[in-house]
Order: sequence, then structure tokens, then C-alpha cells
Amino acid sequence: MASIARPALLRQVCNAAPTRRMASTFAGSSLKHPSPLTRRPMQSAFATPGASRVAAFHASGRRPILPPLPQVVDGDVNKPAPIPEPSASHGSYHWTFERLISAGLIPLTIAPFAAGSLNPLMDASLCALIIVHSHIGFQSNIIDYFPEKRIPLIRKGSFWLLRIGTVLLGISMYSFETNDVGITEAIKRIWHA
Amino acid sequence: MASTRALARLATRRTTVPAVWTRSFASVEPASPSRSTIPESKTSTVKEPATEKDAKIKTFHVYRWNPDEPTSKPRMQSYTLDLNKTGPMMLDALIRIKNETDPTLTFRRSCREGICGSCAMNIDGVNTLACLCRIPTDTTKESRIYPLPHTYVVKDLVPDLTNFYKQYRSIKPYLQRDTPPPDGRENRQSKADRKKLDGLYECILCACCSTSCPSYWWNQEEYLGPAVLLQSYRWIADSRDERTAERKDALNNSMSLYRCHTIMNCSRTCPKGLNPGLAIAEIKKSMAFT
Amino acid sequence: MSAPRALNLALRRIASPAGLTKFSPAGRLMQQRFAATTTISEKEAVNSILAKQRLNRPVSPHLTIYKPQMTWLMSGLTRITGLIVATSFYVYGLSYLAAPTLGWHLETPSLVAAVAAWPVVVKVTAKLAIAVPFFYHSFNGVRHLVWDFGKGMTNQAVVRGGWVVIALTAASSLWATFLA
Repeated sequence: MASIARPALLRQVCNAAPTRRMASTFAGSSLKHPSPLTRRPMQSAFATPGASRVAAFHASGRRPILPPLPQVVDGDVNKPAPIPEPSASHGSYHWTFERLISAGLIPLTIAPFAAGSLNPLMDASLCALIIVHSHIGFQSNIIDYFPEKRIPLIRKGSFWLLRIGTVLLGISMYSFETNDVGITEAIKRIWHA
Repeated sequence: MASTRALARLATRRTTVPAVWTRSFASVEPASPSRSTIPESKTSTVKEPATEKDAKIKTFHVYRWNPDEPTSKPRMQSYTLDLNKTGPMMLDALIRIKNETDPTLTFRRSCREGICGSCAMNIDGVNTLACLCRIPTDTTKESRIYPLPHTYVVKDLVPDLTNFYKQYRSIKPYLQRDTPPPDGRENRQSKADRKKLDGLYECILCACCSTSCPSYWWNQEEYLGPAVLLQSYRWIADSRDERTAERKDALNNSMSLYRCHTIMNCSRTCPKGLNPGLAIAEIKKSMAFT
Repeated sequence: MSAPRALNLALRRIASPAGLTKFSPAGRLMQQRFAATTTISEKEAVNSILAKQRLNRPVSPHLTIYKPQMTWLMSGLTRITGLIVATSFYVYGLSYLAAPTLGWHLETPSLVAAVAAWPVVVKVTAKLAIAVPFFYHSFNGVRHLVWDFGKGMTNQAVVRGGWVVIALTAASSLWATFLA
């Protein structure tokens, strides 16, 4: 066991990191000095006496991001889950638009590999499509990971941040396309630098 | 025999857990649902009672959580079994553990032939039916059994599927017609139309696919999940149903259907060999321009 | 229809009172099932012992215990690589916009000059760090588009397609880094 190899270090780690998790695992070590006053939960009967020593390595205390809430069933268990209002602009049209953008990116991405770089018009459309594609991608991430019920403000905030960012990026790319050499040519030059 | 065991269990229960404890759930502050699981390295092993010389001992680590100790962490309990005395399937192993070594182990099972969907659980990292999952005969590898992933645990391997059933109910899984059948008797269907339902009607709603879907893990309140969407498609594809447009409308929002990102865990894990991923793709395709 | 069966049906129709009318309404053919149901009030449901028990339930482990399979790992990677490429694009674009006010030089010629001064190791690493996410996201994106047509969605095809994407990503990233 690791604790035999480096007991001193382990003791240091144990003392240095008194997290909640550590506190809970120390309950196992108190088995050696059972006190009638401390009522231990059943689990500690299964914890081996050496558990606290091993736990030194796990002392950082993992905390999940946005842990699930306690289970609450809305109203009657026999009622169907609510059906949201149909909205094609968030549903089917959005999906189709997303696919069309992605499919449109394919020829525009292959072309510069075949031709070296693109003419300004195609370059600009590639750039525009990438911006829209990225925007939709970020949007999808926000919808997935920032649930409206849990963190409505963070969700709203990140949507606005994304919108502002995309608009600014659009302005930036417009000036890049008009004043600079264009995205494909720029990547090509930097790549061969 | 069974009655004595039950009596014995009652007796031990009385002595180890006072009645006050078992009722404490009403007064205890709710613990966080994302309590980490105590790994098997920190729990004891329940060993097969009498081992023979040529025994094929395999270790099973089983997820345990007891609602009578509401604030306790879930833990992994290890069991060893002699495979020579155990049936070939994981369900046989679980039943044998429950019968012979640990009667407190709780799991759902009914038909033991893969048609009821009760024994759906996560075995060696994959959602499947315990009754259709062979025990790997390699005794050096230890098996791990968890309840269906990212579900609220009722006890041990029993997940709460209330939300899943509520969602199933929301897609109206029954034939909806306004016009009476043309011949006044039954709603007939061509062979080609009937063929469209193959691979859809066989679903037993075991929830293996839904609980294997990461998208469903993160958004199970609003996203319907592969199993329910497969069922939805079963009625959308049915030539006899007259509410196809309404059914599609119910899915036409950002959450119900379009949280599917074609991860394909669902089709990979389906113990009945169905393809929920394909069914969802077909729904999306049919809705693409509506 | 066979003769005995026709006779049987005719007899049955005569026997039942509905059979006497020539056109029986469609509603008659509908089955009715009676089941005892109990409803509980909202308040009852919220305050019940079961509702309190639910609050204590842990959530079963998921990401940490699910078997690492090609399906979900590759899907997750698509998202991560997409985020890497898109975020770097946004960061560059926004800094390009801010460059004049901040006095930075992010125009192509100055960037080319800066990159040219890097040691080879850094150049190769940087190229790989951009090429791998870009090619992976592109190829797997095509795979996803094929799926959206409902093609290649069997388990075997999914695994095969996955390996094709990985091979293509490796080949094109190496080509872009060392040959192009």
C-alpha cells in the first residue's frame, strides 16, 4: 500500500487538505476509537479502517458542474409531460437552416485546398458561413448546457454575449475581407510562413 | 423456507435499524443528488459461502443505495460468485446473490427473457437487460453493475422512471382517427405500410437507450429521449393514424426532438437491436421543410 | 370468405341486437375499457411521503461509468473540436477589431513575420493544434450530414464511418502539418 511507502508525506497531505470529503472519510478511521456518542451511518461499517489514508490522494474534493437537483415530479405522476408550443423557427426550420449552412461549407472548404485560395466573393461567403455556423454551434452549446430552468440569467446573458460577439465578429471580418488579404489567403500565408 | 428468510430479515432489521431511523426520511434535509459513490475499494466483499476446489470465482461490484439511510452516500458492494453454480446470465447472478448471500439487494426483474424490460441496468458500462446479458466467463475481469445512468435511484438498482413514462404519455401513444374505417370494421393497411412499423413496434420501453444518451442526461426534463421519440415515430409512420401533423407539431420546438445530436449511443445499446437513432433521423427528415 | 365462417358471422349478426340494423355506426365497434383510477390533489402529491423520499434520491453515475464507446466519444469530440476552432476564430476576429485601438498588429503580414520567427517545434505543434480539430470537425461533420439523410446508421456502419473519419483526420492533419 502507498501509505506504507510514504507515511510522512501522506500525513502531511491529510493535514493540509481538510476538505469536506476528507472529513467524511475520517469517520471510517474513528472505528478504531469507537465512542458511544458518535453515531455513525451504516456505510462506515463497510469502510475499511485504512480508508482515510488512501483518501489523501482524492482530497481535492471533486465537485460536479451544475449537479442535478433533488427529484421533484410536477403534479400528478399520471399526467403527461407538458408539450411546448410549436415553433418552427426554433425547431424544424432552424434544423434545416443549420444543415444547409453546414452543407454549403463543404464545397467552400474544399475549393481553397484545390485552388490555393479563393476569389474575394467566395472568400467572403465562406467567412460569412463560418460565422453563422459557429454562431449556431455556440447557441446549441448554450441550450444544452445552460438549462433555462436552472440558470435562466446565465443562459440569457450568454445568448446576448454570443449575439454581440457574432455581430462584432461580422464587422471585424468585413474589415478583414476588405482591408486585408482574405481569410483563405491569410491562412495560406501564415501556414507557409 | 422463504417465509423464514423474510422473518429473519425482519428480525435483523429491527435490531440494527431502529424504527425511528427508517422514518427519518421525512425530517432529514435533502442530500445532494450528485453524491459521489463510495468505490468498491472502500467497502467489504460478500463472499460466496462455500467454495469448491474447481470453483470459477468471479467478482461483481454492485451499486447500492438504501433509502432508509437517506443521507448516506451510494456505495459499491462487491460480491463473489462461483460461476459453476450460477446461471449464464447477469440476472441469474443477481438473483443468486439475492437468494443466497444478500437478501437486501434490490432490483427489478420479471420475465427473464427480454420482453418485459424490467431488468434494464448498466452492466460493465453498457445499458442492457440483465436477462439478455451473458456473464463474461473471464473470471479475471470484474463486472460492475449500476442502475440506468443519470436516473434518480429508488433503491440499489431500481431507477425512478416517472419522468420517462410521463414523456411517453405526452406523445399520445395510441391510434388517433376521426374518420371511421372505410369498411366499418377495421383500419386496413397495405403490406408496405405495415412494413414501415417493423423495427418500431418491438420496443419494450426498457429505457436503456434514453438513459444511454448524453443529451438526455443533461436535458431529460425537456428532451424526450430516443425511446419516446422512437415511439413517436411509430405513430407518425403509421398509415392509419390521422394526427400526423399534430404529432409533428408537438415535436417542433428546440427541446423535444432537436436536442438529439445523433450521438448514436441509443442504437448501440438497444438490447432489442432496434435503431432509435434512425427513427429520430427519419422524424427530422420528414419535418425538414415543415 | 369460406362458407362456415360466413354462416357463423351471419348468425352472430342476427344474434346481437346491433346486427339487426343494416349499417351499424362506427362507434359501436370501438372498445371501451373501464379502469378504476384515483386522482390525488396537487397539495397531496407535493406533501406525500413519496415526494419527500424523492428529494433524497441520488442520481446514478453516468459519464464516469459509461463504457468509452466510439459513438459518444466521437460526438463529444466533434463538439469540443468545433468549440476549439470557433473560439479561436472569435478570439482572433475580436482582437483584430480591437487591434487598432490597442495598438496591436494582427494584419496578415505582421502575423506572417511573427510566425516565421518561431522555432520549428513550435510551428509544428501550433499547426497540429489547429489542423487536428479543424479536420476532425470537418470530416465528422460530413458524417453527421450523411446521417441526417438517414444513411449509414446501422451499428456496423457507424463504427466503420468512425474509423474512416479518424484515419482521414490523421492523414490530412499530418499532410497539412508536414507536407503542405
